[in-house]
Amino acid sequence: MSDKRIGAKNFGNIYVEGKRYRSRREWRGVVDTLYDYSRWLYNWVNMFRIVLCKPRNVKAMFRYRWMANYLAVPMMVDRHTQGLRGEHLRICHAEQDIIIEDVAKLLDKLFRGDKRIGNDKAFSDKVVLIDENEMQSIMMGFPTVVPLSREIASTYIPVLLNQRAALHYIDVAQEFGLAGDVCPMPEAEAGVSIDDDAPILGCCAVQCNTTCDGSLLSNGVISKRMEFEDGIPVFQLATPLRHTNEDVQEYAAQEIRNAIAFVEEHTGEKWDWDYYFECAKRVNFATKCRLEWLEMSKTPYPQVFGSNLALYTETNYMAISGRLAVFEETDKKIMKLARKAYQKKKMAANEYRHRAIIWGVQSHYYMDFLVWLLNCWGIVPLIDMLSMDNTKMIAEEDTPENREQAIYDIAMLTEQMIMRNRTHGGYKVLLDDLWKFVNEFNADMVILWEHMSCKALDGMHGLFEQRARELGVKLVWVSHDLFDPRVVSRQGVRDQINSYMRTVLGEEPVDPTLEFLPDEESW
Amino acid sequence: MKDLKHLIYFEKLLEDSNNELIAQAKEDGRICVAYTCENIPEPLVNLDGTFSVRLRAPRTGSMEMATYYLTSFLCEYSRALLERAIEGGFSYADCVITPDGCTMMNRCVENMELLNTTGKDNDRFFYEYMEIPMKADDNGLNLYVLQCRNHILKPLSENYGIDVSDAAIRRAVEKHNRLCELIRAIGEFRKEERPRITGYEFAVLTLATYAAPKELLIEKLEETLEELRTREPDENAYRIRTVVVGSEMDDVDFIKLVEDCGAYVCADRFCGGSLPGRDPIVLTEDEDALTQLCRQYMYRGQCPRYMDTAKMVGRREYAKSLADEYGADGIIYEQIKFCDPWAYERMMGAHILGNEFGYPVLSVDRPYSIGSSFGQLRTRVQAFIESVEIKKIQRGDK
Repeated sequence: MSDKRIGAKNFGNIYVEGKRYRSRREWRGVVDTLYDYSRWLYNWVNMFRIVLCKPRNVKAMFRYRWMANYLAVPMMVDRHTQGLRGEHLRICHAEQDIIIEDVAKLLDKLFRGDKRIGNDKAFSDKVVLIDENEMQSIMMGFPTVVPLSREIASTYIPVLLNQRAALHYIDVAQEFGLAGDVCPMPEAEAGVSIDDDAPILGCCAVQCNTTCDGSLLSNGVISKRMEFEDGIPVFQLATPLRHTNEDVQEYAAQEIRNAIAFVEEHTGEKWDWDYYFECAKRVNFATKCRLEWLEMSKTPYPQVFGSNLALYTETNYMAISGRLAVFEETDKKIMKLARKAYQKKKMAANEYRHRAIIWGVQSHYYMDFLVWLLNCWGIVPLIDMLSMDNTKMIAEEDTPENREQAIYDIAMLTEQMIMRNRTHGGYKVLLDDLWKFVNEFNADMVILWEHMSCKALDGMHGLFEQRARELGVKLVWVSHDLFDPRVVSRQGVRDQINSYMRTVLGEEPVDPTLEFLPDEESW
Repeated sequence: MKDLKHLIYFEKLLEDSNNELIAQAKEDGRICVAYTCENIPEPLVNLDGTFSVRLRAPRTGSMEMATYYLTSFLCEYSRALLERAIEGGFSYADCVITPDGCTMMNRCVENMELLNTTGKDNDRFFYEYMEIPMKADDNGLNLYVLQCRNHILKPLSENYGIDVSDAAIRRAVEKHNRLCELIRAIGEFRKEERPRITGYEFAVLTLATYAAPKELLIEKLEETLEELRTREPDENAYRIRTVVVGSEMDDVDFIKLVEDCGAYVCADRFCGGSLPGRDPIVLTEDEDALTQLCRQYMYRGQCPRYMDTAKMVGRREYAKSLADEYGADGIIYEQIKFCDPWAYERMMGAHILGNEFGYPVLSVDRPYSIGSSFGQLRTRVQAFIESVEIKKIQRGDK
């Protein structure tokens, strides 16, 4: 495994004006280039093996507008691996490749049960549709039930692949009468439903008031079609907003009991405690791993960080919730690589100049912005808000007491779902915790994503600035509109950092070729 | 029609957040409970020794300071309140209670707290944030009761020594019901073919009951009711009848604008209106008053944050039933700009009321203070009235 950072310069030169693709693959030295290429092939083979080799899935490619975006999967991985060598490259592939495989399986299952495509009724009867931003911990006791999220397939992942993937659905929702100032993520999900562009399957669905008011309300648009047109019964799981308060926990637990009873009723399956505690062990293992990675990030040599960690955490913590053993294997693999790199004091870029906490809601159409921060300006994204989730261990031994505790654990995990654990719960978890992390991680800078239509974040705008001034922390706002690059383009996002670094800090970029990139037309 | 005797008095009460009746109640030594949302059960903040004021920021102009803290993307109601709080406009409040109902209102009050805008000279002052149910069911009711106990009754009792017993709640409900009965009795006149009260006048009376101590209004409301019984209505005063449905509205000029264009506002289904906000509360002796109160608030609530299917369907059916009951020709579905919950609810409500229930619907978003968008809204309403009239002509209606 190469220890040198071969070819890690002038990354901007491989972008091609007006094209979706780049002029060539990144040269990383013989070993790393071959490794990276082998993973590129592996991902194609996986997508072909799981999705494209089945005629029904090819049919889905023509039925669903969002499916074409999946052809850009390898490009997304390339964006996230920019500049990575040795262990860091392998960590990134471990994270990305397992996500790709998992999403490929999700697509295959969706189309297998879809009335319009595979129409496998027996399979569909075992499917429970789960909300996009919903913790799947309520499925930890149902080994034979198949939880699937249509929104992950139709909106969430496509925007990661292609920055323009959601524009059509945003426009559909607005043409239907939705105000243009709501968050474009639930707006696009509502648009998919209005456009009737989601697979129809499942014996029932469990929705959740996840991250925000918009998310909660767009569920109503989706459930109207599911319940009244597609005949899919829907359970709305109401999870408390002020999740740090003791006096909401019983309510939260009862909601979980009710949700489980609903799934049992519609699937005919019984909650399996053996399977639950098996999953709980894996959830705890994932938490332990994440905690150790965070500890590494407190040192000068962080190893598992940035957008790859955010994506991996979203998948592993939220969508998997200990249900798949393969993710535990991936955790172990990442841990082994991270420890090895840490011992060698490996760096993921040529130069580390600033240690930054990444806070707020990230731009979905520019998730690899953190890679750019590192390569262009030497800003190390130590932690991001999406990875700062539950750090408590849940009960993992099957005892009568723990069976009761388990309900509260599931409730706690659901309450502390990614993003919602910060956007809900009062200002302490959003505002106060940020400065605590700045100290803990010895950061000198805060990059604050300002997702324009995220009202929970916007509502603390002035106080973020006020606190930063009081504490003498460098705070850089990065505005964006989550799913809609028409509002703030990728270069528009970069310009905000470029301006700050040049005019306020008076610095020159580590890699000047990255400062302005012709990627407006890129995937 | 002849002017209502007390209309100017009620209008003056609405001109400022800190009106003369608030000052009078404070002089009497009563505790002012400021709140922000219809999900706070009003009788609980009107116990003996207390009175409630639903926060408003009338005559709002610039909101620059609040826009700095909250950005221009938060709804203007939350920004207007924060601006007014920073200016010291809510200094009369002895506490602020808000549900974590919508994110924006929650952030508004959090900013009020962190910026130390109110209660500076009152060491018993408190802010409370409530979790309120998002579904109407038994679990939601248990939560509602517990939250009201912990975040309304307990702090009022501990900080100000307020009697929060079951008997005290029953007394508060009784007083509340007297007010509701008066408002509903006045509101009944709106069902008449030739109504003897305008929608604007009714909106003024109703809003005053949220903005001032309730029992100080009773006498004048009783007189107004008597006056209305013999009031001679105008002939052909309006071109169409409409129900206004939607989000928080405490600017009566919106209703005035609609009526000046020729649409009579015969029913008011918005936060700060009388339907269902002024429905009397029915208590029985076989259950504690708090539980009964919460149950009725929860089941009658029309807030779009209630996410279960029954409530979602119920909201649209309720709007339709009001249109039927009050003989409306059309429905105006309004939403304060930048309100996420009502943005979705307006979209769905407008389509369902229009396409499934067959009512002509005008779907509009509006600023907090209608004066800043007067011309645009007037054009929309005028066009709506004409379209409804054309439909009536096409149907052969008189």
